[in-house]
Amino acid sequence: MLERLARGAGERAPGAALILALLAAVEAGVRTGAVNAALVPPPTRVAARIGEILAGGEFAGPLASTLWLLFAAYFAASALAIGLGLLMGRYRAIDNLFEPLFELIRPLPKPALLPPLILFLGLGAPMKLAIVGLGVFFPVVINTVQGVRGVDPVLIDTARTFGHGQRAILLKVILPSALPFILAGMRVSLALGLILAVIAEMLAGTGGLGYLVLDMQRSFKVVDMYAWLVLLAVLGYALNAGFGRVERRAAHWALARPD
Amino acid sequence: MAGRAATPSARAPSGRQSRPGGASAPLRRLAGGRASGFALIAALLALWQVSAEHWVRSENWPPLTAIARAFLDGMRSGELAEVFGSSLYRLAIGYGIGAAAAILVGLLMATVRIVHRALEPLVELLRPIPVPAIVPPLILLLGLDDKLKIFIVAFSTFFPVLVNTVQGVRAIDPVPLAVARTFRHSRLRTLLRVALPASLPYVMAGLRISLALALIVTVVAEMIAGSAGIGYHIVTMQYAMRAADMYAAIFVLAAIGYLLNRAFLLAERRLLHWYRTDKTE
Repeated sequence: MLERLARGAGERAPGAALILALLAAVEAGVRTGAVNAALVPPPTRVAARIGEILAGGEFAGPLASTLWLLFAAYFAASALAIGLGLLMGRYRAIDNLFEPLFELIRPLPKPALLPPLILFLGLGAPMKLAIVGLGVFFPVVINTVQGVRGVDPVLIDTARTFGHGQRAILLKVILPSALPFILAGMRVSLALGLILAVIAEMLAGTGGLGYLVLDMQRSFKVVDMYAWLVLLAVLGYALNAGFGRVERRAAHWALARPD
Repeated sequence: MAGRAATPSARAPSGRQSRPGGASAPLRRLAGGRASGFALIAALLALWQVSAEHWVRSENWPPLTAIARAFLDGMRSGELAEVFGSSLYRLAIGYGIGAAAAILVGLLMATVRIVHRALEPLVELLRPIPVPAIVPPLILLLGLDDKLKIFIVAFSTFFPVLVNTVQGVRAIDPVPLAVARTFRHSRLRTLLRVALPASLPYVMAGLRISLALALIVTVVAEMIAGSAGIGYHIVTMQYAMRAADMYAAIFVLAAIGYLLNRAFLLAERRLLHWYRTDKTE
């Protein structure tokens, strides 16, 4: 374990050195006046501000509001997409019914739907939930359908031979087999959901991490802007890493398969 | 690299061209298996038209005929062409720069160990930033003009292509590389003539994800820091309460998203006709 950690650190040493060198160059540039401090604050001041935000608990409110928005929409839309995707993948008639509509809506860049959603739902939570949910829905439903279609028919026949009903086959054979595909879609959706949450917060202007970054820029609080930006990046990183862990636990058998 | 690349076989994120649905599926589809689906779309559009004319009297809910009129007016006056032209122009430049840089850096990272070790942590640090969040600082650094939007598009194009290129080169069958060495090809020649074509399916998968992302990011950047383009146009029409113009622009945007993806698939099929998508299954 320790040995692996040490080796990992050795692997990463050049990369860490590069990042530190870049930060030091910016710091030196600002201090010598080569870089305009009004536009690029010294990294040490940003770091100090991040420390303040974390220590003072200032981050809790905006973080909670962004996370609530993201997770509520993400889980609701994913559940709906998986359910519909299972049915579409299994029953040709249902697929025929929805596929053309989805193919029509899917290529539309979802942020473009924000203005009409604002017209109908206003600037509050329903609008934000709707746009994040829309963004999350499509990658998950498409991957679910693809995953269901890829299920080995022998598995299904075997289950049928043992007298399992349609419901059991769907939930106990097809769903687990399609899981790696579903999770791949959900991973894409998580990143997309965060992007949409941030832009919805920016346009709505009522709170959350995305709003703060834009607001700080507009009031020229550059240090604050970068501090919140770093926190948002950490959130993105943590979400992706967290998802990776969940994925490894839920579908370890599929990921371990050599390809 | 911690994040997994989109493998070409399970072109998961946004495609569905490989459909193992039985041999007769394409035939049936041509024969109109999806008639119910088109009927659903027609029914929804009819519902829109009727509801807008009779039930919902709202500025926000114009009938489709009004939207069609707005579209025709926009086409005739050249407004729509200008709006979309300026966006697509920035999209093309940003996408080209981002993709070229990503393939170059990706090839270097995959073949030269020290480059990989030096850049990987930086890439892992920048990649998870939600793109809209970097718009505000970039406004300060680059202003509101084309420079800003091109940079953001290039930035967001860069990472999926990079990750996939690295993964693609790593997945290359070692035999062709050994053969190239046997024939004493130089490293550069091996890289360009063997490694790059062999990793092309992965690179293309990354390029396709990036294309969709680039269109999203173009719209987003124009919404937040707008002075021209589709995103700005849509937001402006919403503020101006010209709902019909807003919907017309959204419909055109959807069509462009669809056509870009189609065009890419065509190009991909021509380039990768030798590659079987079911290879790893």
